[in-house]
Amino acid sequence: MSNFYSTPRSEANRKSKNSYFAVICLLVCGLVVMTLVVLLASIFFTGGNWLSWDFLFANHLEDNPEESGIWQAIVGSVAMCFLCGVCALPIGIGTAIFLEEFQPRNSLLRSLHWLVQLNITNLAGVPSIVYGILGVTAFVYMFSYFPSITPNDPPTYEIGANYRYQMKTLGGDFVNFPCPDKTDKEFRINESIEAVDSRGNSFTLNVVESRSAAPKNDPVLLDQTVVKGKRPSKYAVKSFFYFHLPFGKTVLAAGLTLGLVILPIIIIASQEALRAVPASLREAALGMGATRWESVREVVLPAATPGFMTGAILAMSRAVGEAAPVLAVMGGVLVTTNGLTNLMAKTPVLPVTIYKWAGDENVGFEHLAAAAIIVLLVLLLVMNSVAILIRSRYEKMLG
Amino acid sequence: MTEIDQPKKTAAKVEMSSNNEILESPSDVAIAIESFNAFYGDFQAIHDVNLNLPAKKVTAFIGPSGCGKSTLLKWINRMNDIVPSAHATGLIKIGDLQILDRQTDVVDLRRRIGMVFQKPNPFPKTIFDNVAFGPRLHFKISKQDLTELVEWSLRKAAVWDEVKDRLNKSALGLSGGQQQRLCIARAIASGPEILLMDEPCSALDPGSTSRVEDLIYELREQYTIVMVTHNMQQASRCSDRTAFFYKGQVIEEGQTEQVFTNPQQKKTEDYVTGKFG
Repeated sequence: MSNFYSTPRSEANRKSKNSYFAVICLLVCGLVVMTLVVLLASIFFTGGNWLSWDFLFANHLEDNPEESGIWQAIVGSVAMCFLCGVCALPIGIGTAIFLEEFQPRNSLLRSLHWLVQLNITNLAGVPSIVYGILGVTAFVYMFSYFPSITPNDPPTYEIGANYRYQMKTLGGDFVNFPCPDKTDKEFRINESIEAVDSRGNSFTLNVVESRSAAPKNDPVLLDQTVVKGKRPSKYAVKSFFYFHLPFGKTVLAAGLTLGLVILPIIIIASQEALRAVPASLREAALGMGATRWESVREVVLPAATPGFMTGAILAMSRAVGEAAPVLAVMGGVLVTTNGLTNLMAKTPVLPVTIYKWAGDENVGFEHLAAAAIIVLLVLLLVMNSVAILIRSRYEKMLG
Repeated sequence: MTEIDQPKKTAAKVEMSSNNEILESPSDVAIAIESFNAFYGDFQAIHDVNLNLPAKKVTAFIGPSGCGKSTLLKWINRMNDIVPSAHATGLIKIGDLQILDRQTDVVDLRRRIGMVFQKPNPFPKTIFDNVAFGPRLHFKISKQDLTELVEWSLRKAAVWDEVKDRLNKSALGLSGGQQQRLCIARAIASGPEILLMDEPCSALDPGSTSRVEDLIYELREQYTIVMVTHNMQQASRCSDRTAFFYKGQVIEEGQTEQVFTNPQQKKTEDYVTGKFG
């Protein structure tokens, strides 16, 4: 027996290996923290001085980084995040409930169920630009099912828009009058018509045969006179519920696309939340004679809600930071004239603004990009804190 | 005890609304099990069991782990429905009701057969809502009646005095023994005839165990109780009849006293005397 135990391994050697390993782990960990610190420091040094209230509440100005700001981008990001949450959360949580709580017993349905689960797991790893292209096909053009929208043709299917004509009179004033048929491209002014001038006064438009017949001596009448046969320009007054099909390159299409991006993430996070609910609670509810739905509604969902919230907030913070799908769907918008007045408007968002500014050749915009990154980081931090706050409140309520 | 023995209005309501064959046709047999076989996939967990479980008595299932006693218990209220591979043949009857019949409504079946699990599993709700869960599912019941029923159930489960001042607090704040008695109150609140208990004391400390055992002993005046236990002292303390399971078969069934003091089978004797198990 004794020869088994005759040569012990060096204890000092084993102990020093132990300490080497601890040091290596510490170094690796330090590297990660260092990277983060360097990243944050460089951003703060580049952009910190450019942060101000003016920066927050101003909008992008071409060639003028000093007075540019990100107000529209903040509004756009929040609105888009809200949109994608509204569309992705019910679908995602519903899917998770189906996959976890209503597993079929039939073998054919079970394999179908397995296939769906496999697909969702894979979809979570698909690059977001791919979703961007899908969004362009599915939401922007809607598979070309509806007549596409061009600058000259108003959309065929729309609500909430009131079309009007505008034209310049011989006196130089702009007058407006109703447009009875928005599809009429050949409309010309041939006879007198009720119109409104730029000061809001109604009057009857004075139509003359030619420029030579204009009442040159009466400036008031001249402001109300147009030449016969002239073509007025058409414009639309859009209400807050303005909506058309297909969606086109709009904030709605971008929000829905982001919804697709985060859908698998929400489903997987919600499934985790449901799996974390102890099986004993389900058994208790079913054992009391609850139907599946009753046990889900009364017992499983309340217990899983904190998990749903965490998953939703994490998914939405990913959506806020996505640039690629938004660029693909809406284009690189930096500023719009009217801001976000309805779902069919375009809007800048923070990541796209950062992307455009970081690549801008004008000196100064790279500082603005860094400042915008700080704002984005703060936004994400706030979202995550809210999630943690809600979660801890909820847990306190439960136990 | 006498003034709380019946919830005044609600018990009558519950009893009227339940389709109670047993009470209408007085019979000693509450649950009849005939040539029953149970499977998980290809594995046969129970072989040809014939058993009659008496009404208003406590029947204990004893036997070593994996002998099929919990499986049989879970088939009595069809809880095995949620196990995808589980299936069974044979008959389990309560009165005329064929439990294993596909047409049998498990929702009403499980209201009539309450279940108490191994680990206390109160819902993460208030104590009141826990007990009110079953009645709210199955009956349209006024707030006042519900309050009365909750109190009656909690008194019946011998936990009222400990929780009466904290009905609106979370049930998760109770101790393990209190939680298990709350679960018993929850089970009896929806007006069952039969209570199934799957090792109800195995997760409890000795003090809580003896309180729950006393409770089980008292409850048999009103309910048929079937209980699975690993603890032979427990079976002898609080059951009227005992069935000994071994490898999916019932080796012996009889008066508890007789099974423990004068077993007819060698296997039973070896088990109750601690030679294996």
